[in-house]
Amino acid sequence: MDSQMLLLISLVLPLLGAGLVWVVAPLGRGAIRWTALVVSLVTLLTVGLTVFSADAAVGGVFAVSDYQWLGDLATGAPDIRFSVGLDGLSVWLFGLSGLLMVTCILVSWEAIQDRPALFYGMLLMLACGCLGVFSARDIILFYIFFEFTLIPLFFLIGIWGSEDRRYAAVKFFVFTLAGSVLTFLGMLAIVFLHYQATGVLTFSIPALTERFAVEPIQPLALQCAIFVALFAGFAIKVPLFPLHTWLPLAHVQAPTAGSVILAGILLKIGTYGFLRFNIPMLPDAAAYFMPMLMWLAVAGIIYGALVALAQGDMKRLIAYSSVSHLGYCMLGLFALNRLGVQGGTLQMINHGISTGGLFAMVGMVYERYHTREIAKLGGLSRRTPLLALFMLVFTFSSIGLPGLNGFAGEFPILLGAFQRAWLEAPTGLAAQLLAIAVLAVSGVVLGAWYMLCLIQRVFFGPLKEPHEDGHHEPVRDMKLREVLAVAPLVVFVFWIGLQPKFFLDRMDGTLNEATAQARRSMVRLYSDTEEVAAVDSASELRVAGQPNVATPDGR
Amino acid sequence: MLPDLTTIKDLLPEISLIALAMWIYIGGTIATQRQWWSWFSLAAYVVVGFMLYKQDLIMWPYLSETDGGAVSGPLVIDYLGHATRWIAVAMGFVFTLMSSRLIGRRTASEFLATLMLLVVGVMIVARANDLVLMFLGLELVSIPTYVLLFLGRGDRSSAEATTKYFFLSILSSAVLLYGFSFLYGMAGTTVLMGTEGNPGIREMLGTMTQSEVADGLGRFAPFALILILAGLGFRLAAVPFHFYAPDVYQGTTNANAGLLTVAPKIVGIVGIIRLIVATMPLSAHLGWQLVIVLSILTMTIGNVAALWQKNLRRLMAYSSIAHAGYMLIGLTVALAGRNQGLVENGGVAAMYLYLLVYVVASAGIFAALSFLSSEDREVNTLDDISGVASRHPAIAGAVALFMFSLAGIPPLAGFWGKFSLFGGAISAAANVDHAATSSWLITLAIVGVLNAAIAAAYYLRVIATMYFYSSSREEDARGGWEAAVATGLCAFTVVALGILPGSIMRTSRLAEQSAIAGTTVKASSTLAAYQTDARVDER
Repeated sequence: MDSQMLLLISLVLPLLGAGLVWVVAPLGRGAIRWTALVVSLVTLLTVGLTVFSADAAVGGVFAVSDYQWLGDLATGAPDIRFSVGLDGLSVWLFGLSGLLMVTCILVSWEAIQDRPALFYGMLLMLACGCLGVFSARDIILFYIFFEFTLIPLFFLIGIWGSEDRRYAAVKFFVFTLAGSVLTFLGMLAIVFLHYQATGVLTFSIPALTERFAVEPIQPLALQCAIFVALFAGFAIKVPLFPLHTWLPLAHVQAPTAGSVILAGILLKIGTYGFLRFNIPMLPDAAAYFMPMLMWLAVAGIIYGALVALAQGDMKRLIAYSSVSHLGYCMLGLFALNRLGVQGGTLQMINHGISTGGLFAMVGMVYERYHTREIAKLGGLSRRTPLLALFMLVFTFSSIGLPGLNGFAGEFPILLGAFQRAWLEAPTGLAAQLLAIAVLAVSGVVLGAWYMLCLIQRVFFGPLKEPHEDGHHEPVRDMKLREVLAVAPLVVFVFWIGLQPKFFLDRMDGTLNEATAQARRSMVRLYSDTEEVAAVDSASELRVAGQPNVATPDGR
Repeated sequence: MLPDLTTIKDLLPEISLIALAMWIYIGGTIATQRQWWSWFSLAAYVVVGFMLYKQDLIMWPYLSETDGGAVSGPLVIDYLGHATRWIAVAMGFVFTLMSSRLIGRRTASEFLATLMLLVVGVMIVARANDLVLMFLGLELVSIPTYVLLFLGRGDRSSAEATTKYFFLSILSSAVLLYGFSFLYGMAGTTVLMGTEGNPGIREMLGTMTQSEVADGLGRFAPFALILILAGLGFRLAAVPFHFYAPDVYQGTTNANAGLLTVAPKIVGIVGIIRLIVATMPLSAHLGWQLVIVLSILTMTIGNVAALWQKNLRRLMAYSSIAHAGYMLIGLTVALAGRNQGLVENGGVAAMYLYLLVYVVASAGIFAALSFLSSEDREVNTLDDISGVASRHPAIAGAVALFMFSLAGIPPLAGFWGKFSLFGGAISAAANVDHAATSSWLITLAIVGVLNAAIAAAYYLRVIATMYFYSSSREEDARGGWEAAVATGLCAFTVVALGILPGSIMRTSRLAEQSAIAGTTVKASSTLAAYQTDARVDER
């Protein structure tokens, strides 16, 4: 089957699955969760086949389908199309969505007792939304999937969350919506400015990008205003400091599956939005706001790490670590050089895997002890050695141990930041940018500190278990189901860590194209900058002993 | 002027409904079975729907050949009118369904017949091309509303609601009439859109010279505009004419409150399109600044006040006010765009589309509330619906759909309403060559979307109450399967229009084109000839 068909099937299957879950609901919880699992596995299969298909290896855009949806202007409706496809920016995020969905269903296997049909239905609808966001090639279709993801997650948090879930659900929804409606206005502005300039009313992302990359919107003030409008939604979604306040609440209150998918996929929609819309479509504004965004990113890195250090709740700690890690993604993206952008994009995947894994592990600890308080736990590696081992792997992945995926993302980001600060610094900004880069490095140290503290206190040292819940039978180690839920993630932790080139190569061309104009704008805006032919691609770095194969020129 | 035969033919559905309503009034004194008369009404709406369909078979091909509409006596035959008549009949059907088990047993026939007259009122407003007929239609909506409100419940709060609505409605009708008198005074005719050789108000005002506008009769145009806007603003429940809405909604039954969110909104918007956008070209440069202020105030006050409501109908009243504010965005775009020379700018289409999606979701919510109510115990407060999701998952799911649609979350119908309104505003802002207009339109769009986010907070609270809390009491849920069907119909429409909005976008676009392209209006004889031709072709 060709990748185009596979992509469509991957989008439709979860929706059909959600319907099927309702149909089998009278048969009981077992039937429901098995249905959901089978559907998500088949979806993962089709997603996997799409992502690893021969078309994907070629690079560029693939698996494109394009259908008329609303009709055209002649018939009175704007030409919004059902247009989907994948390219280097989205391919791995698309794959990650498919992968984490299986994890979500497996970690909810026993935790969800109440209204299982609704739960798995919502989870599958969320899967459809996530897969759709990353594959949409029409700006309105993107927005529809983008907003649609709010509905299932609202229910997931509100019904199956912890004590404060109702407030968390509403806050999450309203906060995100407030930003995304402004994003919506920004998108409409882009579309209608294109219409005004060319006389063609199109909502196609490639067409809009093509136009505005070549002839950026003038004047700069207008471009910056649109940038800010788009920024509002994406920055809240990322979440960029200081718009992150909804995140810890939502994460702590959400059920495990909700946390996994929120951290793993939904936050990436924000960074993906920056990469898909802000940087290519508004290149001058991106260059203009570059220093400010880098400051915000590094503020998030340091702030997130410091607050994480002070947390006594495991989930809250990991939630703040997300703020910190997403700061790295943003730092890399807005370094606006090849290394930084590659690292930032890879870091999105890495964060999805490692933080998704961490949330899953914390959920397993919670299922065993009914607490997430660090102070009430200790020495769990004696009781549950396997769980401790997995936790350790994800922790090391998260703090960027060389050889694991975190390093493959963070290192190019930091290199990119330094490259921007030293070699390509715009006049007058060098000191600032250097300060940012140095602070970002200190964030790595802080990151290692709080994660290792967590591991050390909860899993090592003398055994400490809470007894107030009246646990009589001994707590068991991970079951096969739980191992299966996180094992695939571990595979990717090592795979990306040891062979980042495989993943980078499929993104490189598109990334380069997407950011080329912004780099040119940098030069134009800060005219003293010199293009430097220094290290230009993370693929050229020798990571973990991979032979150095330079990417072909001309990409 | 005696109406000719074609006009009578055009009015056949309206006339049939009036005759059937009379039949119900009279028959109801003899046979009082509630069930029977409900079925009779439903059948009547179906029959009239079929008549509309037959008329459309002739009209659509005719209309698709012309830009504007045609004039038939005091009626205008165009897309806007035809689409609105369909909505009116559908509204009658849905509200009859949802209230069929809840209306008082002894007053059932009165309720149903009065509802039917109200439907006729909406249908007349939809096509009125004459100030007199327009006013007649508006009153045929208002007067049955007084009766319905009074029939709703026999208690004191119901009486209070009725009185309040009655006095304010009379006042607004008087204000509107005063505005009409200015129009008549300026133009010397009551016809809105004239034909060649028989100019109407639109043509008379359109051909005024500069000096006439400045010093002559044209000076009165602002008075006419403000008074008409005030009179119709009451129907829309736009600030500052909104004060009645919360009290009246709270004091009456769920079905009546639903009717109040739907019928006056339809006639208000259609009236605005016909009277202000299409008829008064003078109004554009005066109007858009005024409407911008009204729009911002209306949506902000409505949404902010709704945040604190505990009574469901009160909450929906403020939500209805807020939605009136969104619809006024469309009016602003229409007027501001026209002021800058963009005549067909999508503003009217957006307003009309928004009206459609709002009406469906709002009717659906009240149908669901009716389902959960019983004759002697209504669902009133948020507490009354807590935990409904576990007992009536389908109804709760439908209400959630309606709420998400009102909040404008895709992929539901409401999203396309917001898309059209904000898209229209941004598009006009990008296309007009006037910096002040552009920046005001953009400001309006920003206030609008932020309001949409505020609104989400209280819509979500309703959903949260149904899904996240367990119940304190069992509701009776005596609305019966009829109310459930009404809910289901609305829910289906909300989802279907959300996934495939192309058809309503087309309809609203055509409605805009035909309503404001007045220059090609043809005399009734042309239409009559066409109808004869069509009939010949059929044979």
